[in-house]
Amino acid sequence: MLVHSRGARWAVWLLFLVLFLPLFALPLLVVLGASFATNWSGVLPSGFTTGHYATATRGEALQALTTSLLTAVAASVLALVVGTWAALAAAALKKSHRRVMDALFVLPVAVPSVVVGLAILVAFSEPPFLLNGTRWIVILAHTVLVTAFAHQSVSAALSRLDPAYEQAAASLGARPAYVLWRVRLPLLLPSLTAAAGLCFALSMGELSATMMLYPPDWTPLPVLIYAATDRGSLFAGSALAVVLMTATLLALYAVSRIRTRASYR
Amino acid sequence: MTRRLLWAFPPVALLALVFLYPLTLVVQQSFQPDSGGTSLQPYTDVFASAAFREALWTTVWIAVASTAGCLVLGFLLALIIAFVPFPGAKIVARFVDVFLTFPSFLITLALLFIYGTTGIVGSFQFLTTPWGVLLAEVTYFTPFVVRPLLAAFSQLDTAQLEAASSLGARPLRIIRRVILPEALPALAAGGSLVLVLCLNEFGIVLFTGAKGVTTLPMLVYSKAILESDYPGACVVAVVNVLISVGLYALYRVVSRRAGA
Amino acid sequence: MKGDIPFRGIRFDSVTVAYDGNVVLDSLDLTVEPGEVMALLGPSGSGKTTALRAVAGFVRPASGRVFLGGRDVTDLPPYRRGIGMVVQQYALFPHMRVEENVAFGLKAQKVPRGEIRGRVAEALEMTGMAAYGRRYPRELSGGQQQRVAIARALAIRPGVLLLDEPLSALDARLRSGMLAELARLHRELPEVSILYVTHDQVEALTLADRIAVMDRARLRACGTPRELYRAPANEFTASFVGGANLLPVTVGEQGVRFGERRLEVSGPVPEEAAVLCVRPHLVGLGDGPNRISGTVREIQWRGATHRLYVEVDGHRVIADLRELKEPPAHGDEVTLHFSPDDAVLLTAGARHD
Repeated sequence: MLVHSRGARWAVWLLFLVLFLPLFALPLLVVLGASFATNWSGVLPSGFTTGHYATATRGEALQALTTSLLTAVAASVLALVVGTWAALAAAALKKSHRRVMDALFVLPVAVPSVVVGLAILVAFSEPPFLLNGTRWIVILAHTVLVTAFAHQSVSAALSRLDPAYEQAAASLGARPAYVLWRVRLPLLLPSLTAAAGLCFALSMGELSATMMLYPPDWTPLPVLIYAATDRGSLFAGSALAVVLMTATLLALYAVSRIRTRASYR
Repeated sequence: MTRRLLWAFPPVALLALVFLYPLTLVVQQSFQPDSGGTSLQPYTDVFASAAFREALWTTVWIAVASTAGCLVLGFLLALIIAFVPFPGAKIVARFVDVFLTFPSFLITLALLFIYGTTGIVGSFQFLTTPWGVLLAEVTYFTPFVVRPLLAAFSQLDTAQLEAASSLGARPLRIIRRVILPEALPALAAGGSLVLVLCLNEFGIVLFTGAKGVTTLPMLVYSKAILESDYPGACVVAVVNVLISVGLYALYRVVSRRAGA
Repeated sequence: MKGDIPFRGIRFDSVTVAYDGNVVLDSLDLTVEPGEVMALLGPSGSGKTTALRAVAGFVRPASGRVFLGGRDVTDLPPYRRGIGMVVQQYALFPHMRVEENVAFGLKAQKVPRGEIRGRVAEALEMTGMAAYGRRYPRELSGGQQQRVAIARALAIRPGVLLLDEPLSALDARLRSGMLAELARLHRELPEVSILYVTHDQVEALTLADRIAVMDRARLRACGTPRELYRAPANEFTASFVGGANLLPVTVGEQGVRFGERRLEVSGPVPEEAAVLCVRPHLVGLGDGPNRISGTVREIQWRGATHRLYVEVDGHRVIADLRELKEPPAHGDEVTLHFSPDDAVLLTAGARHD
């Protein structure tokens, strides 16, 4: 559209490839390649092995994966409930109150995750809220970090929701709770699942706050990946990273399937 | 109205307990040196240390430079995806979405193979310099600029572009006079978000293993976990929060304007 | 569906609605009798939709009361008012089948399960949508969605039906069909009061027992279509309900004068300066009573009719004439006339306050 001559168009596409491939595709390919290798000193990796995957799917690594999955599911569910509740409650408030509430709930996006970790560490290391050293402190931190995203996407979806639906429902004699359950939430379902996917992915990859908080018996996968690379096992670390990405993508795919069905209905 | 406020109370109370209350404790602890009492001592100590000033400067310049890089690169890529579409452009747009869901340290991990000591490019100490962090951040955060830009471009009426080019405007002129003004709000919003995220980025810096590159979040982590200097960590945390929340407030204002 | 529908009218008692200090409905007094079809007719921004939403309960009047069947509902939430409503975009629930949409109000009001099926079938039957119960709204055409929206509103057996520009999303052909359908529904449900908001005078004239003409937040006139058309109370009503030629005239000892010409007008004559209103299709070509002559400025052939724009002393007079064998040419001098019975005199200055 913008570039009409054939030659110029090819030149632009070439530029795109030159920028896009090394910057965005290469990193993923490199990690993928390294995960099957034992050595990388030339242009291509060498020493093909699936051994890293054998290790990455059992024992400590398997446990870390389970830990990450459980943490991500728990954090996403909690964040979705709290975020949706907050977004719905805020939508019913008058403008000035709604502004305050929205600002409060997006604040965790702006605060560095490391600081969120530090704050939770400081607050929950002593009675009355002694959580330090338990898995709950990790789940709590992840929940705090992803709730902001859940709240933001649900609020955005709510503001796009045509008020005609709830008004039609109310005129038919439906009480607000019935309207919420039978009309508003079903209409929000596609956005809710999208938010759930986002929260899940963010929690799966969370490292900053986790590094401040994780107890020895609740080591999520990113921490294990860091530990591997820190001691120089880059190839094993790559295999773990591929496992992490695959798990995240599978979960996102499952969520998007639910979403298509929800929006098709 | 009061009933509605009542409904808003539970989530706000929860947020206060698990987020606002911990944050105030951090602020409180930043005024409580290990020696006891309440004073500005931790602040004067931290501000006096060369490590802090170094970290502050590194954080800010890397964040600003990364943001600039992301804006230029993101604008270019979004421009091509949207206006010089090629077979597979849709897939690339989807890929950008997926890219956003991966953890940031993945990029550094890949760069370790490409530029690291035993890498493709060879033993090259590039990664342990701020430039390595800069490259990783530009790579990771560019999609955050591309996405809002693609959304903005999809709103742009193609008839407008066709009219402009039928009037004999050259591509560069169309970009400058037609596309850029439309993209400005998205650029501003995406750019300020990236700036905040870069200021707060931890995974990328941690994974480079570069002792020479210390940013504010790194300093918080090392003071708290490695040195157990909680008051010091809290001081750095307060400074970091002030900078990024201030910028984020700006981002919200800009993006609200852009949305209006 | 007959029998248990309560006879209910609507009454606005000086209802004023303001958004942020901006008055969008200015002390409206209006009564819709039980079983009556009242059209709220006006241009956009005239306050007609606001009036409807005040009945539904979606806007709260700043002052004044709204009554449904003699009961003050001003403070009741929408779901306790028992009204049926159909809006322009239909607002069918996209995640429910047609029959679930129609059953929605009944389920929400906890109607016994055994009764719901029958009432849904009845409502769909009535709107001719019985065959589409298992479909989803997106599988229906605009006109079919409209029927489902009406069925959904009727299923709860409301005493009052509110229709907000229900036909404006349909194309012209469907619109006249739906208009006939609505008229039939009203004949079948004579006890339901209908408040019908529209900006289309044809819809209002066709369907309404009475028309309330709104402009700029105020009620300008209210009466039967015939009254408003034959004897409009003011210039706004005259021009909005059917087109009208409005000519400034003076009233004096020599009777009614338009420029130098004396005109005969039956009916009441106001005391001073006035406006003469005569419908374009009542203006004839050639000699006759009340002859006026001028220059043809434009001529439009519309198939069955010719429309002539004639300039008379600087004023434009429109004449809709049955198709002319030999139409005058542009610039020709022509003579027009109209019967004294077909002209109405309006008080001058009532155009906009």
